[in-house]
Amino acid sequence: MSTPVRKTLDDVNVMVAGQGGDGSLTIITLLSRLLGARGYHMFASRNVASRIKGAHAAGLLRGATVPRACLGDHLDILIAFDSEAIEVAGERLTADGIVIFDSSLGDIDRTRMKEGVRALSIPFGRLAVRDLRRDLFKNSLSFGVLTRVLGIDDDEALACLAQHFKSLAPAARDANLLAARGGFDYAGEQGMERGKGHWTLARAQAGKRLLMTGNEAVGFGFLAAGGRVFAGYPITPATDIMDWLAPRLPKFGGVVVQAEDELAAINLGIGASMTGARAMTATSGPGLALMMEGISQLGSAEIPLVIVDCQRAGPSTGMPTKPEQSDIGMIVHGGNGDLPRIVLAPGNPTDAFELSVAAVNLANRLQCPVFLLLDQSVSQDSATVPPFDIDAVTIDNGKRLTADEVAAMPQYRRYEITEDGVSPWALPGTPGGMNLITGNEHDEWGYVTTKPDIRVKMVDKRARKIRLAADRLPRARRFGDPGARVGLLGIGLELGVIQEAEERLAKAGHRFECLQPRTVWPIPEETLEFIRSHDRTYVIEHNASGQLAQLLRSAGAPADKICSVLRYDGRPFRPAELVDAILQGEAAK
Amino acid sequence: MTTTFTPRQPIWCAGCGHFGVQAAVIEGLRALAIPAHETAILAGIGCSGTMQNNISGYGYHATHGRVLPTATGMVVGNPNLTVIASGGDGDGYAIGIGHLIHAFRRNPSMLYVVMNNAIYGLTKGQPSPTAGPEEAPELPLDAVQIGLTFPSSTFIARGFVGRPAQLARLMREALTHVREKRGFAFLEVMSPCVTYNDTYPLWDAMYTDIEQEPGHDPGNRVEAAARCARLTAEGRLVTGLIYRGTGRTYESALHVDRVNTPAMRGSAPVARREDLGALLDRYYC
Repeated sequence: MSTPVRKTLDDVNVMVAGQGGDGSLTIITLLSRLLGARGYHMFASRNVASRIKGAHAAGLLRGATVPRACLGDHLDILIAFDSEAIEVAGERLTADGIVIFDSSLGDIDRTRMKEGVRALSIPFGRLAVRDLRRDLFKNSLSFGVLTRVLGIDDDEALACLAQHFKSLAPAARDANLLAARGGFDYAGEQGMERGKGHWTLARAQAGKRLLMTGNEAVGFGFLAAGGRVFAGYPITPATDIMDWLAPRLPKFGGVVVQAEDELAAINLGIGASMTGARAMTATSGPGLALMMEGISQLGSAEIPLVIVDCQRAGPSTGMPTKPEQSDIGMIVHGGNGDLPRIVLAPGNPTDAFELSVAAVNLANRLQCPVFLLLDQSVSQDSATVPPFDIDAVTIDNGKRLTADEVAAMPQYRRYEITEDGVSPWALPGTPGGMNLITGNEHDEWGYVTTKPDIRVKMVDKRARKIRLAADRLPRARRFGDPGARVGLLGIGLELGVIQEAEERLAKAGHRFECLQPRTVWPIPEETLEFIRSHDRTYVIEHNASGQLAQLLRSAGAPADKICSVLRYDGRPFRPAELVDAILQGEAAK
Repeated sequence: MTTTFTPRQPIWCAGCGHFGVQAAVIEGLRALAIPAHETAILAGIGCSGTMQNNISGYGYHATHGRVLPTATGMVVGNPNLTVIASGGDGDGYAIGIGHLIHAFRRNPSMLYVVMNNAIYGLTKGQPSPTAGPEEAPELPLDAVQIGLTFPSSTFIARGFVGRPAQLARLMREALTHVREKRGFAFLEVMSPCVTYNDTYPLWDAMYTDIEQEPGHDPGNRVEAAARCARLTAEGRLVTGLIYRGTGRTYESALHVDRVNTPAMRGSAPVARREDLGALLDRYYC
């Protein structure tokens, strides 16, 4: 297969790889600034091991003139600080791609790359140490080469570097600039003189966009929704939410509490919620397993709390830095007993913001646990999205009672059985509103009971509040060809890749309609209707057992209309891989 | 006047020590004139986990062993409340012991009253972490001595239901510590289970009031800890105000504002749009 030689790039895929601590992510950040200034849409990911330093670590950046929300099929440029980077990613380089290789420790192994790949072998590390006395300057050196390759003007590249390092001591900043100039010189020797790159970047439509991760957007949404107490315990890939909120929440009158474990985290959240503070906790699969008793308590005792699950590959400790969607069963069915709950699943930072706000409001309105179901990719990959609509944020506290409202009631029963299943709620501190909150089965007053008739009424009441709220839960994203007979369905990290796969399939004459459910539980009618109304639907998910498909079937989606596309190797789908999987499936029909 | 829940009669066996603990709590709340609506009473699981049903206030029944993080969450959410966490020795020293350590570290202004009967009563007589060597293959733990080892602990006392006047005084001191926002008041009460482990005569014989010991200074942690360890090693049941000090409270370390609590702010309108918007500045590309 030969790839046409391109002069202009409108979709650029760059990977910077080396050992953890090499500074690969810095180059990605710098390049994202330059592409952002050109109006590019971006998607950035990192590929790291679960250790602080060392082991293969990579940053990946895709920039495109049209929205792209996943990694591309190929790499155009690979900056490799060691031979392991070539082993891992050399094969991904396109035939007209470029590898910028640090040859300090030996020559490049070309056998792993396509024939046309151009190799720029430079002893970055050695030059950096020789001329600037620090290995880390190899980043700025290679950045100089990279910008020349992409036809970016030297002044722009230097300005970007200076801005990035503005808080460094002048001497260190100047050394980085000097290093970049060294990169320019080398590129010039290879024929890439100033203003004459290997490629030029196509123009893109400028627009005001945010580049952020899902975890950051969850934290921002919580803050915007009046969130005031966050209780968490560090766990990859959820920790970023706590780290994001820790310096910010106190400025808005809130508190971040680092618990001694997940058992404490969820119960700190319960305690804070009971005072009326809007509260959240965040964790990943192993932590969620520890929280299950508390989650059951939230359901039975009717206490609001938002629980974020940033899924990673399981079971058990699994692969902490790799995405998976294998907590679906636990999050929907976990916890002892039949308990009311809502599960929302964002597919990008915009969703993460909007659903975080929605989750805080739903928890408080319905007095129950509300889950935000993310995966490592949605949590930690960055994507460009339109600015958030902060003005659309509203605060819904549901049926909270003031002291005057309590005083006007002849009786106040904490668990009053109501038509919509939600009971009025008097917070501690409210005169006259004293009540009992318990996870034991209880009567309307909160007294523990095992009376069969009351038991049934209470179970039904708790189920009713979720059922009656179902039509006001976040709607799915529906796109693609509305007249198509075949559907593609996926949540979380599948969104971006389904969008691109559908586009490509459409260009090739294959018609598909797509659905990204943003409410996973209760299963919305629109999800079931989507499956019923198509001849077949590919349910694409990152787990080995088809947990989402199982859930849909159990809710009444016709089993013979569901085709599972599963992946559980810890990697996201690339668009071409998904296209192939779908076409294979179609060929078998 | 709105009718809300009416405190119930306890479910405990006749002669249970917990009656005495509950009486001391009620008396302490009355003596300090703490209004019912400002009182939050949290209880763990077990016989002791029902006290909230019997006292007027905002009651909560926690999951097993988790009463301390829940109570800490309430202090953080609304430090104006008087938060009372209660539970038994199984709840607090077995399944929940990890949280006790961190409560001592954090020093949140709340009361933790442990009803220690050295047995699991509700599940009919299994040995607890304070059971003696004849009852269990392990040796008992002593939460008072654990608490004394923490430089952050600020109030450690032990009472015995067989000495109600002393218990009432310790309860008042503990609630005062909480009400004045001086930190975590730890009060262990020896409260025999008459059905499965009637230790009234044994504990009565072992009873020692450390405050009657010549030279006892509850403000001197090192001396108090040494004296407590020595008396315990001699087979005494050490009671009284063992240690009281000062230290940073959790809510002050977190800068929780009592005038404008997280709970109150949560129900207020959203933060100013421009302040929120400014958080996004660094993400524009």
